[in-house]
Formats: sequence, C-alpha cells, structure tokens
Amino acid sequence: MSDARIEGYARALFEIARAEGTLDEVEDELFRFARSYESSDELRSALTDDMIPAAKRQAIVEDLLGGKATGTTTQLVSMVVGSGRGKDLPAIIDTLVARASSAKNLEVAEVRSAVALTSDQQDRLKAALANATGKQVNLKVVVDPSILGGIVATVGDSVIDGSVRTRVDQLKSRI
Amino acid sequence: MNVKFAFNLVAAEGIDPARSISAYLSAQAELIWGTAASIIIFAVIFKFAGPMVKKAMAARTAAVEQELNDSAAAKTTALAEANDIRQAAGDIDAERQRLIADADAQAEALLDEGRARLEVEVAELNARADADIISASGRVSDEMRGEIARLANAATERTLAAGVIDDATQQQLIEAFIQNVGQNVSQKMGATS
Repeated sequence: MSDARIEGYARALFEIARAEGTLDEVEDELFRFARSYESSDELRSALTDDMIPAAKRQAIVEDLLGGKATGTTTQLVSMVVGSGRGKDLPAIIDTLVARASSAKNLEVAEVRSAVALTSDQQDRLKAALANATGKQVNLKVVVDPSILGGIVATVGDSVIDGSVRTRVDQLKSRI
Repeated sequence: MNVKFAFNLVAAEGIDPARSISAYLSAQAELIWGTAASIIIFAVIFKFAGPMVKKAMAARTAAVEQELNDSAAAKTTALAEANDIRQAAGDIDAERQRLIADADAQAEALLDEGRARLEVEVAELNARADADIISASGRVSDEMRGEIARLANAATERTLAAGVIDDATQQQLIEAFIQNVGQNVSQKMGATS
C-alpha cells in the first residue's frame, strides 16, 4: 500500500476516534493490537489471507477484541481488515499514533518491558524520557517477554536499550 | 770319388789307363781334346747361363733383403704397436684411475648434497611439525574456547528460559532503567544504556 493510502486510512481512523471522544484510549488499544499483530504469525496470516472471507476475518477481530477493547477500536480494526488492508494495519496504526501524538504536541515513546509497568512507573518513566529528550512523550508500553527483563525505550529514531536480552547478547559475543 | 780310388777301380776291371778308349784318338789327344771341350762347354755355360744365374742370385738376394727389410719393418711396427699397446694399457689404467677418482668425487658430492638436502628437509619437517603442533594447539584451544562459550551460552539461555528473573529482579531492572534515564538527562539520545 502506498504511503498516501496508509496516511489516508490513519487520518480516517484518527478523525473517527477523535469524533468519538475516545482518541487516547483507542490510540492506546490500537497500538497494543498492532504490536500483538506483529508478534503473532498466526494472527497475521489469518487477517491477511485473501482466501478467508472478509466477514470471517472481521469475526476473528471481534472475537479477539470483543470485551477487551472499546467498541470503536474493534470496529476500526474490523474495518481495516475487512477492506483487505490487514497487512498494512501496523503501519496505519503507527501513523495514527504519530498523528495523535503530534496533535497533542507529543513524541511517541514506545516502551518494551518484560513485565507490565505500574501507573507510577509509567509516569516516572514518561518524566524521565521527557527530561532526557526535552520533549513531552506519548508513552506506549508493550509487554514483550522476549527481552527477558529491563526496558527498551524507542523515541523517534533513538533507542535506549536496558534489556536483559541485549546484555546477554553482548555477554555472548564477548564470550 | 778320388783319383786313387778311380785308378784302383780301373785296375780292378783290367783296364789300362794308358790305353785310349776312342778308336780315332790317342789317349793323350783324347785328354787334350776332352779338356778343351770341357773348357769350351764351361765357357759357353759361363757366357750364357752366368748372367741368368747372377740375375737369379741378385733377385734372390734382393728378395732376401726385401724379406729382411720387411721383417725389420714388421718388427718395428710390432714394437711400435707393442709400445702403443703398452701406452694404451697405461692410458687405460690412468683413465681407469681417473674414472674411479671422478666416480669417487661424484659419489662424495652426491653424498654431501644428499646430506645437505636431508638436513634441510629434516629442518623443514621439524619446522612444519612445530608449526602443526602450534596450530593444532591453537585450534584445540580455540575449539575449547568455542565449546566453553557455546556451553556458557546454552547454560545462560536455559537459565533465562527457566525464568530465574523473578518479579523482584524485574522491578529492580525497571527502576534502575527509569533512574538511569532520569539521571542522564544530558545524555545524548541514541546511546545504549
């Protein structure tokens, strides 16, 4: 899909969520769904398989998100998947999140942690990243057990890697 | 047969030596004419057969001289050949000695060359063996280090897979990260903490 089309989808989703007044929540849920989508080959293949009817793919989305996310989030994902743009879902969502953050004059900070962060930890981390970057950040936390422990924070093109996985890899290469 | 024997023989036959045998000549005349005839015959023979005999004798003398000369030449030739043979024998002996000396020298040179080559080859083999030993030692050492690293990595992965990072440790890591990011406000973004 071209960048213009991704941008168009993102803008449409952004406007819908903002019109619904649930932009922050929808943005957060979409972001987490996009990361889950990226990490699950099974989910990705199910939502992008053209041999599966659109209604069936949308039913899968509703089964996954129903009751766990807002109705707006479920409907937006279902709409994208039903239109056959499932493979572009992460790019569309990332563009949406960037647009939403930009609208709030924030910089998206993707934080990967092996375990869930408490609200207090998220607040302190947000403040620390803001101090470090000089920008207000829109914190997006993703639980990623593959990093084993610690945190990996990505702000724009910069990465602050404090994960156990990276330290283990460095130790391995040193050995 | 001497004269005395002849007279005795005539006397024994009853022949008178003073009596002529010829019916026409007396004994004295017969003696004279007989002597003259004999002289004439001898003269004729000397006149006509002498040169031939002389020539034959000269030819025989020449032949003998020629034979003597030939014999002398043959002897000289034989002596020269004998001398040549002796000289050749001497040359052969000298050549044999020279060949033996050359062969000895070549054999000695070959032995020296062989010894030198063997020494070089032995030195090369020793150096190669030393290098192989060092290489094998290094290879074994590398393999051991690699194996140790592999085992250490495997042990690390198994330990991490077993979930040895408990919740308290996870929280410590998170707090340490937050504190580290907060303390390094001036740290340029992009650095890996």
